[in-house]
Amino acid sequence: MRYAEWCIAAPSLEADIAAAAMGLDDIGHSRVLYGSLRELGTPDGPDEGSYANVPYLDRPWTDWTQFVGANAVLDSAFSLMIEALVNGNVEVLRSRLRKMLQEERYHYLHGRSWMREANAAPAVERAWGEALEWFGPESGDVDGFKREGKLAYGVRDLRRMLQERVGDKLPETAIDWTKWDGTRRRSVPGGIDQATLEMLQGLAEKRYMPTSG
Amino acid sequence: MGYSRVHANVREYDVFARKARVEPLRQVGSVVAPDDHLAMAYARATYDEERWVEMMIVPKDAVIRLWGPGESES
Repeated sequence: MRYAEWCIAAPSLEADIAAAAMGLDDIGHSRVLYGSLRELGTPDGPDEGSYANVPYLDRPWTDWTQFVGANAVLDSAFSLMIEALVNGNVEVLRSRLRKMLQEERYHYLHGRSWMREANAAPAVERAWGEALEWFGPESGDVDGFKREGKLAYGVRDLRRMLQERVGDKLPETAIDWTKWDGTRRRSVPGGIDQATLEMLQGLAEKRYMPTSG
Repeated sequence: MGYSRVHANVREYDVFARKARVEPLRQVGSVVAPDDHLAMAYARATYDEERWVEMMIVPKDAVIRLWGPGESES
């Protein structure tokens, strides 16, 4: 959704189109993931306030470097987790999520090149810290899933691989895990702004629907 | 070409694709980018509207044009 907001605001026409295309890819990925979770028996949660998004996505980005930080770091973190699932032992996820990785390769190329072009260090550092929070603490649920074979990578693997992908020298990030919410995978309260939440829930479109009766 | 871009140095790339293995590659358009990787991402984002089995990009300045029949060297 945040990518789509930049489809007419990116620094070049090609970047506009790429933002729109990557936004569409990620909406498709969300649909596949939700479908897979349903098939695995995960109940639908009440939508309001239950989005487990990283704080980076809470508010619209006001600067292109924020887009670049998300694209280079958070999207790569997401891809690594998908890769860990594709190489894990849950058959539904192994088969369904593979195509996502093919699309995400282009997101990675886009993010990495723009990271070189744009002076995005503050945004990259923020995204890096939030990606580490999203992976969670060592010996937590992710490492538990690795032991069960559901995930091919544990927290240390994910951190190392993300560092390799991002490539830049990234700061040591001290995370206070006592403040970490294990359900939402973040340490700070808050959530997506109301206007975006309404779009995500389809409420914005409903305003334009003809009234019945 | 008169492009106004944020990047200081860009190259123009021609984009080629084929819809089926038996079809020849066709030029489907072009993109402008500062490096090959970003050009790949742009080409895929821009020309993914139709199904394709193979897509490739070529820097325009790497293309060597031959003289046309009867064309002088100047």
